[in-house]
Amino acid sequence: MNRRPHLSREAWIGLALAGSYLLFTAVFWAYPFFWLAKLSVTQWRFFDTPVFTGPRNLLLTLRDPMFLQALWNVLRFLLLYVPLAFVGALVVAFGLQHVGRGKAFIALCFLLSNVSSGVAMALVFTKIFSATGPLNRLLFDWAGIAIPWTTDPQLAMLAIALVVAWKFVGYYGLILYSGLLTIPKELYDAARLDHAGPLTRLFRITLPLLNPQLMMVLVFAILVSFGLFTEPFLITGGGPADSTVTPQMMIYETAFRRLQPSHAAMMSILVSAATYLLIVVARRLFERKVTLA
Amino acid sequence: MIRRLRALLRSRSPGGWMLTIAIYALALTWLYPFAWMVAASLKPTAQIYAGGLFSGDFTLDNFRFLFATADKLGRPFLKALAISALVTGAVTASVLLSSAFIAYALARLRFPGRTLFGDFLLLQMVIPTSMFILPLFVLVKELGLLNSLWALILPSMMSGWGIYMMAQSFKAIPEEYLDAARLDRASLWQTVTRVVVPLNRSIIAIVALFTFTGTWDNFLWPLIAISDTERMPLAVLLATFSKQYGSYVGPVMAGAVLQTLPLVLLFALFRRHFLQGMSLTLK
Repeated sequence: MNRRPHLSREAWIGLALAGSYLLFTAVFWAYPFFWLAKLSVTQWRFFDTPVFTGPRNLLLTLRDPMFLQALWNVLRFLLLYVPLAFVGALVVAFGLQHVGRGKAFIALCFLLSNVSSGVAMALVFTKIFSATGPLNRLLFDWAGIAIPWTTDPQLAMLAIALVVAWKFVGYYGLILYSGLLTIPKELYDAARLDHAGPLTRLFRITLPLLNPQLMMVLVFAILVSFGLFTEPFLITGGGPADSTVTPQMMIYETAFRRLQPSHAAMMSILVSAATYLLIVVARRLFERKVTLA
Repeated sequence: MIRRLRALLRSRSPGGWMLTIAIYALALTWLYPFAWMVAASLKPTAQIYAGGLFSGDFTLDNFRFLFATADKLGRPFLKALAISALVTGAVTASVLLSSAFIAYALARLRFPGRTLFGDFLLLQMVIPTSMFILPLFVLVKELGLLNSLWALILPSMMSGWGIYMMAQSFKAIPEEYLDAARLDRASLWQTVTRVVVPLNRSIIAIVALFTFTGTWDNFLWPLIAISDTERMPLAVLLATFSKQYGSYVGPVMAGAVLQTLPLVLLFALFRRHFLQGMSLTLK
């Protein structure tokens, strides 16, 4: 092929295809991005022209007790959700490793909750958790207790965490399982020769070697918890006493109920920043370089 | 037959069998909410909380209520179902078509700025979409599309994630296939639809399934963009119906079944591709 100064047909097709996506992105991604930045430093109420107010939105948002409560609620959620998710995912991963044949069946059972409707399942769990619902009847028959799942401030968050864990444990389990497949069997044989018990093997071999997959699950869990909206919105509506209000609910309420979009824009920027901050901190604290040497 | 069964039984220790049974039991427990939902949708509301899962008088009254009576309460479920199907179908078709071609360009065509384009897609995926909901509302309002189905379709017509996932898979196509297509003077359309797509069914099934599920079950965006009950997709109409008529447990559960059914069917249909594709995305 001779080198020509102008572009080949292949390059033109490539540019046209990439360009079509860039055009789409300019309208539905870059333009909103610009608006978000503009809104965060102006005062605007959907109908008037935006007035520049500088850092006023930032100061207002940082002093908004509801917003701070919502951020605090994310941490409370993580405290319940992360242990549930990790234990559940490890059980699924070891379960998949243990069963020989029906592996696909087990995986599909746990994954169905992940691909089915979040809206429908939130409504179903509202009924399952209700005072006279099947869960409380089961508990009453077995232990003689009834638990006010959605009316107690502490338990309401646990109920949400259980629903979200139910939804994601299968997916996280599959991630961990894919990691388990990469651990060489010889390591366990060697450990057995050294009389290492099952717990030692778990904490000295399996978990350290699963670090990349465990980190992936942790990052996903952080992203899920800051993006929480459907489940608390439908199951508890943020209550009781604002104990399950999430940042996404705050942004929605502030923009479309209280009609303060510029305030809400600042919130979504702060929430994204908080998400990154937490992910960076988590990686600094828990990420290990694993090498098989 | 009996000998085979004995061999199977001996293949594990008794403890191992207990564990296997426990895992199966746990997997089936995970499906309990689905079973409860289906059972509740088929019982009169008064019997839902009374008695076991399979006891009670099973009828289709809840579904009849949803399609006939709810319409008179200003909750047109049949229409909502059609709207959900239309929007989800349009978005999925558009995402698959655009992603396949653009991913082919990204993975296989040489053009200036190609690596930059790939890096840009990665950058976009790192920024959470929930951040854009509010300014997207401003944009859609400026375009005069609030309360129209275009508000649900247009912003999701292309997907950077879809392009990226497909491109990762397209990179592994052996060069000989594409050489053969070039020798036969296949057009771009023919190359992508006849060579690239059939060789990458799993990843396309994954993108299709996640796009379909994400659009069908999208809640926050249509809740904001559509306020007219005549134009609401099923997920939002069902949520507003449940907020107002929460004591109608039977009909609400019937609606939940409708909302879940297409997703479960699709999942069951594509389960093999899905598991294969999942292992692709986890690499």
